[in-house]
Amino acid sequence: MTPTLLYLTCLLGAVGLYLLVRPTDGMAPAAWRGMRTLGLVLGLGAFAWLATGIADAVAPADGGGGPGAFTVIFGLVAVVSAVRMISTGKPVYAALHFVLVILASAGMFLMLEAEFMAFALIIVYAGAILITYIFVLMLSQQSPDPDDPEGQSEYDRTPREPAAGALVAFLLLALLTRTVSDGVAQATPRLDATEARIEAWQELEGMPGRLERWVERLDDASLAAPLLARGEDGRPMVEPSADGLTATVLVHPAPGETPIAVEMPADLRPENVQRVGLGLIVKFPASLEIAGVILLMAMFGAVLLARRQIELTEDEKRQAAGLEPLGEYEPRPDARDRRPNGGEATA
Amino acid sequence: MIGTASDLFAATGSPFLAATIDPMPSSELAGYLVVSGVLFALGLCGFLLRRNMIVMFLCTELMFQAAALAFIAFGRFHQDVSGQVFVIFILTIAAAEAALALGLVVLLYRWQDTLSAEAWTELHE
Repeated sequence: MTPTLLYLTCLLGAVGLYLLVRPTDGMAPAAWRGMRTLGLVLGLGAFAWLATGIADAVAPADGGGGPGAFTVIFGLVAVVSAVRMISTGKPVYAALHFVLVILASAGMFLMLEAEFMAFALIIVYAGAILITYIFVLMLSQQSPDPDDPEGQSEYDRTPREPAAGALVAFLLLALLTRTVSDGVAQATPRLDATEARIEAWQELEGMPGRLERWVERLDDASLAAPLLARGEDGRPMVEPSADGLTATVLVHPAPGETPIAVEMPADLRPENVQRVGLGLIVKFPASLEIAGVILLMAMFGAVLLARRQIELTEDEKRQAAGLEPLGEYEPRPDARDRRPNGGEATA
Repeated sequence: MIGTASDLFAATGSPFLAATIDPMPSSELAGYLVVSGVLFALGLCGFLLRRNMIVMFLCTELMFQAAALAFIAFGRFHQDVSGQVFVIFILTIAAAEAALALGLVVLLYRWQDTLSAEAWTELHE
């Protein structure tokens, strides 16, 4: 895909986006619907052309067939609902369309073999964060505007600068897709399949408890009282085979005996969740702590921001403290004379 | 025998939770990155377009989402779990941001009785 074609496709998408988001005040319903349909067709066509064009341009380099069917479906759902989210004038619909974007993203995460993140995304985003958004939307519901049949407020109905917004989106998208189409063809994976399997096996050395439980349950006549052997650094000794499909670990047949290599079953190789957990603890311990601090501070901040200020009068404070109310305050007739300037107001 | 979720998926012939680690073709990576880029551009466009403060914050969440997708796609391509670990941090920041931003929005709404961002163009009292 040549750069000119790429930019033209992005521009086409931006035009479609502009048609979808521009204000529709004072238009006939038929013209309005036609414009929306045209915008949708233009935008979707541009997106599909962009995705397939770039994938095709990259494909000869690796012989891959491009994105699979599920990827295409989830990607389309995500993009269409994102467009609906920014083009609808109703905040609640925007939030619900964002839930759809989240679900489609979770589907794509599943296709990318990030199962834990897919479900965490649904639970945290769709389940917690979006509920908070919808809560706040309901808390701050506007009284319906009598002039508008759909009860939307003016600032929801008319977007700000649709042409400029579409232009900025076009510039950013052109930059990003140009980078992708130029860069991805040269990208080489850090590891090939064999190296990745070997690395996964070697991560077992960081999970001695998992290995110990497996060793305890070993049912082998030659191993009377199996005990996991530890290296000098206290870690188990895992030895993956050359193709990474199997691996052995050193086990004492009985305490004190010379360790022997025992082959491990394939399902002992760490799966996605275990590897993410290990990575979180081993590679990024400081970031994990900082994330906890950020969450705590955000909680404090939110509580401080959202509390309602209650102004107590002097009598109410005294009542809360269990004292008699002071009653109506009446200045004594001689009170003025005690002030330094004799009670006169100074300018 | 079906014991774990991965056995279940394997028994139903689903592509999910595959037992083997296959390399991902870079054309597939390009597809995910284009989706991620489009989502990010849409999020930015929405942030500039919408005038409702809550919807503007939703659009920032959309941008977070696009970044998370790119992280996961690159992590899968390079067979590195760091991408997924970073998405956990993105989720954390998004949750913190949602809590603070929505607290702020509720406060501002009580003050001026509108959600329009333009009501706050002048910040002095």
